[in-house]
Amino acid sequence: MDMLVTQLAGFWDALLALVADPLTYIYLISSVFLGIIFGALPGLTATLAVTILTGFFGNKIPLDYALIALLGAYVGAIYGGSYPSILLNIPGTAASAATAMDGYPLARAGRGGEALGLTTTASFIGTLIGTLALLVFVWLLLLISKNIASPEKALLALFGILLSGTLMSEDLVIKGWIAGLIGLAMAMVGLDPLLSEPRYTFGWSYLLSGFQVVPVLMGAFAVPQIIDGLRHMEVGEVLKLQGRILPNLGTIRRYLPTITRSGVIGTGVGALPGVGEDVAGWVSYGVGKSVSPDGAQFGKGSLDGLLSSETANNACIGGALIPLLVLGIPGSPPAAALMGAFKINNVIPGPTIDPAIILRVAAIMVLASLTMFILGLFTARVFIRILRIPQTVFLPVVMVLTTIGSFSVGGGINDLYLMLGVGFVAYLMNLMKYPMAPLVIGVILGGLFDETFRRSLLISNGDLLVFATRPGAAILLSLNVALILSQFPFIQRGFARLKGKFT
Amino acid sequence: MKFKFGKLAAIAILASGLGSAVSAQEYPYRDITTAVVWGAGGGTDSINRMIMAEMEKHLPVSINVINQTGGVAGSNGMVYVQNQPDDGYTLVGLSESNVTAAVQGGWDQKFSFWYPFIVGGSPDLISVPASSPYQTLQELVDAARAAPGTIPAAASGAGSIHHLNLLAIQNGADAEFLFVPYKGSAPGQEAAIAGEVALVVTSLAEQAPLIEGGQLRPLAMLTPESAEIAGISVPSAFDIYDGLDAYLPLKQAIGFAVHASAPDEVKAALTEAFDKAMASDTVAEWAAANNYDIGGQSGAEASALFANLESTFAYTLQELGATTVDPMSLGIEKP
Repeated sequence: MDMLVTQLAGFWDALLALVADPLTYIYLISSVFLGIIFGALPGLTATLAVTILTGFFGNKIPLDYALIALLGAYVGAIYGGSYPSILLNIPGTAASAATAMDGYPLARAGRGGEALGLTTTASFIGTLIGTLALLVFVWLLLLISKNIASPEKALLALFGILLSGTLMSEDLVIKGWIAGLIGLAMAMVGLDPLLSEPRYTFGWSYLLSGFQVVPVLMGAFAVPQIIDGLRHMEVGEVLKLQGRILPNLGTIRRYLPTITRSGVIGTGVGALPGVGEDVAGWVSYGVGKSVSPDGAQFGKGSLDGLLSSETANNACIGGALIPLLVLGIPGSPPAAALMGAFKINNVIPGPTIDPAIILRVAAIMVLASLTMFILGLFTARVFIRILRIPQTVFLPVVMVLTTIGSFSVGGGINDLYLMLGVGFVAYLMNLMKYPMAPLVIGVILGGLFDETFRRSLLISNGDLLVFATRPGAAILLSLNVALILSQFPFIQRGFARLKGKFT
Repeated sequence: MKFKFGKLAAIAILASGLGSAVSAQEYPYRDITTAVVWGAGGGTDSINRMIMAEMEKHLPVSINVINQTGGVAGSNGMVYVQNQPDDGYTLVGLSESNVTAAVQGGWDQKFSFWYPFIVGGSPDLISVPASSPYQTLQELVDAARAAPGTIPAAASGAGSIHHLNLLAIQNGADAEFLFVPYKGSAPGQEAAIAGEVALVVTSLAEQAPLIEGGQLRPLAMLTPESAEIAGISVPSAFDIYDGLDAYLPLKQAIGFAVHASAPDEVKAALTEAFDKAMASDTVAEWAAANNYDIGGQSGAEASALFANLESTFAYTLQELGATTVDPMSLGIEKP
């Protein structure tokens, strides 16, 4: 209890420090605004927003301010995706796909203003729920994580790659795993972390430092997105916004149970390694459909359905930051880009991270969600105008930004070749419906897995039992095994039969 | 809005550049850039930002600090500066860890390519987790002698300054630990706290917060001097084992360098500004607050220090089988 009080006091101090600094507002308002635009433009995603800003700001300005810009863009973009979902029936980001299910019917029924007002409020409350969870659970986890050693880290990294592969895959789970393993293989390139010997570098000194995170992120997320956007021009008709946007308190109070439930679900999904806002939105939508008394109306213009997905995807942000800050394992693809920003600033997220950074992150989240709330309520009409910008105009601009961002991290021209190479391969893989998030998670966690797995064996003198005898490791090992086994057809059939017997 | 700020900044830079150009063509007449080969926020980066800010006060121009990271042992940044003209307008921020770049195949120059300036370094020490049964260095060494090669010891990657310190204490105290490499000091210290390894060798600057927090127990300094941290007096390992002075001290050397081929007046101007900066209170206060020892060497003295580090590192790495280029072929003498 004592700790909670000091925690809240520390958070309050961090918040005051931010509020008192005039620079905060410049970064905050411009980054949230930019984030909403990125989210609102179909084809540009939250991951892209955070990735590009990492390239630009990552090592140019102090980490304290870079964090404001990155988190502001993150929060803004996840929220911004709801605009085209509601008004165009095209999700601005994958995270808002479930929002379109009910948002568009509402807008057609002339309730677009009401829908936007409520999603804005729900996104705001959702972000706050996620942030509160971040504040509380980070501390609990930090206590445990002091005992986390190499075997647990190795299994956790593997779990992150596998889970991301399982949940982010569009059709076959195995495709997600393949993408994750490709990422893992890419992480092997460079100087061996234990023996300091070059691996797969073919005598080329650039490869000695391995594949850099930022160019890989840009290549995997930005390049295919841009090519794809330019190939499929989606020209939808923007529905006219009707009704007032400012929500009334009564409606919000009525939907508070839905908002709270969705916020908790979103945070929980976010905390799973490598699983992002889109999954959070769908899971919460699915739960809402079966729990809500309004369930039958879902998909036909239910406010309940709208709020289920839109609260959850914003709550996911706070959740995604928990494993990132405590264990160095990003909880979502945009969090992977944030991890890149930490890395180029030499801050290693993990048990020994400076607690002040965590408090600052939480304070920034609160201010960012507040900024998003105000911008959303009062400048919504500006964002709607942006929906009319044709993709042929903004996608090339984004490509230029991506290139500059990738180059400016400082690895030289080779970083650009790497970005383009990864980009074209990623585009082809996208065509074949291989998800990219597990690949990036593989690149980021692969190095950790390689290093900790082999270090565990070095210390245990080659005894594999080290992964089963420690209690934490044993739990994680069984989770990994269960995840893999659950995909085998005969096991799935067995489960179905068991289920049939008991129900 | 951002573009406007950019323009303003550009105009300001141009104006200041032109302003000083008019006064004289003597070095330095335009801004200097220092490319730090390690990441922002690290020891080498913060030392360079601190000393450059101080040197600026004694030079008519400003110094911009940028980071050019990556490659082997910081080779990207060194190659970057190598390719700039040797007119003293591009400096490189570096540390003792860069001396291995050549033997690890990162670039093809001996360290004497540079004309170095040493700001300082933090001394290494050997510590154990707070819950460890070992209260003194003797107890630890006795346990290692009883079971050679089984007690896991953390230090950053093979061939790092901390690894070399670990090897030196092994040789000097005639004990053998199980060396477990970590990517950097922080993960190694985390592992010690988690109980994964029995001891950790890193620098005082890196360990100080953990010692103050009661999570690590310092056993011995790997320098001839003892030290006082958080009310604990830490004895020098030199007083415990006699043979150590043959192998130690191996100390960090963090600073910056200019091309050795740069004109003499450039070196003289930099040395003058450096000496003035090193004598300032700011540097002394910074060093005390961050547990660093002040160096202050430049020119021949610093070159000799780096040459010694280079040969020690190179031949140790070769023994470990972690070199791709034979140090002999680069003309590096055996220590």
